[in-house]
Amino acid sequence: MSLALKTAVVSASRRTVCHQAAVLPGLRSFHTSKPAAAEPPQQASASYAPPKPYTEIAQQGSNQLSLETPKNNAEYVLSTLDKVANWARQGSMWPMTFGLACCAVEMMHMAAARYDQDRLGVVFRASPRQSDIMIVAGTLTNKMAPALRKVYDQMPEPRWVISMGSCANGGGYYHYSYSVVRGCDRIVPVDIYVPGCPPTAEALLFGMLQLQRKMRRSRKGVLWYRK
Amino acid sequence: MVSLYRTIRSIQRVGLREWWRQMQYIGDAKSGTFVGADQFGNRYFENRNGEEEIPGRHRWVDFAQHNYHASQVPPEWHSWISHIRQDPPTADPVVQNLTPSWQTPWVENMTGTRGAYKPYNTAKPKINAWEPKVTGRA
Repeated sequence: MSLALKTAVVSASRRTVCHQAAVLPGLRSFHTSKPAAAEPPQQASASYAPPKPYTEIAQQGSNQLSLETPKNNAEYVLSTLDKVANWARQGSMWPMTFGLACCAVEMMHMAAARYDQDRLGVVFRASPRQSDIMIVAGTLTNKMAPALRKVYDQMPEPRWVISMGSCANGGGYYHYSYSVVRGCDRIVPVDIYVPGCPPTAEALLFGMLQLQRKMRRSRKGVLWYRK
Repeated sequence: MVSLYRTIRSIQRVGLREWWRQMQYIGDAKSGTFVGADQFGNRYFENRNGEEEIPGRHRWVDFAQHNYHASQVPPEWHSWISHIRQDPPTADPVVQNLTPSWQTPWVENMTGTRGAYKPYNTAKPKINAWEPKVTGRA
């Protein structure tokens, strides 16, 4: 009997902790665990929806939210100009292909008929001087690293980098190899990490859409004005 | 396919206001039966008439949020909209009976917000910057 009671208490406390962690993922306090007896156990339901979207809850009181809400007319104009620039940028992302290994095959699938990147205005460009995104697809070896950095340096600003696959994210399978860079973020600053070995074309496309989200968040004009 | 007739037919069915919303978010004038809504307010539609919708475009979602993306679809509805399950979760007895009570609520992808997942490590770093130690000359 006592065992049954004990397991019930443990599962209830676990449920409470899981529920809280899932309800407000944006608000992480330092003390995440509370004593189980302090509050009544809540029934975590799988179909719970917060009163506001999770992303809005997470952005409360952040600098980004402050940048996105104009405070005077000048900021209103500048943030609108920023939005126009963001719209133009996100509508024609030209990735430089840096296909190094098997991930490159999935990158080609993203370009092919089924996932059809061209409907998003994403066109592969073989020249770094005319592209604004670099997709690092595959294992980055020590020998290739200077070439990667040179290609990145040749790209015009603004530029973004998508790290595709485990090998580019952190070395992956070849993490302990003597000749592999443990993540391409040691060479270039990375904006989007796409996990997977290799990631599906769907996952890479979702990464591209996340990069569009990142581009939409840019408020360079307002930032310049506030400084 | 997009045609004037199809657009006019769709406006007649769904109304001008809904059509305008569709053109802003979906980019196409669609009409079909309302299948259900999830807990976040996303609405799901279906039109299985092969003359009206191309097969593959016959199930679609109308997102509740302005900044929409695919991970706002919860897993039950994802399985319906990607044709993993035939029936929507509102009508599927398997989904309704076999959802475990300890399943955590669905959270959309929080990338780029402050709720994004950040890994941390409590182990000692394996790589340290080189700090040269010079011994004084004798």
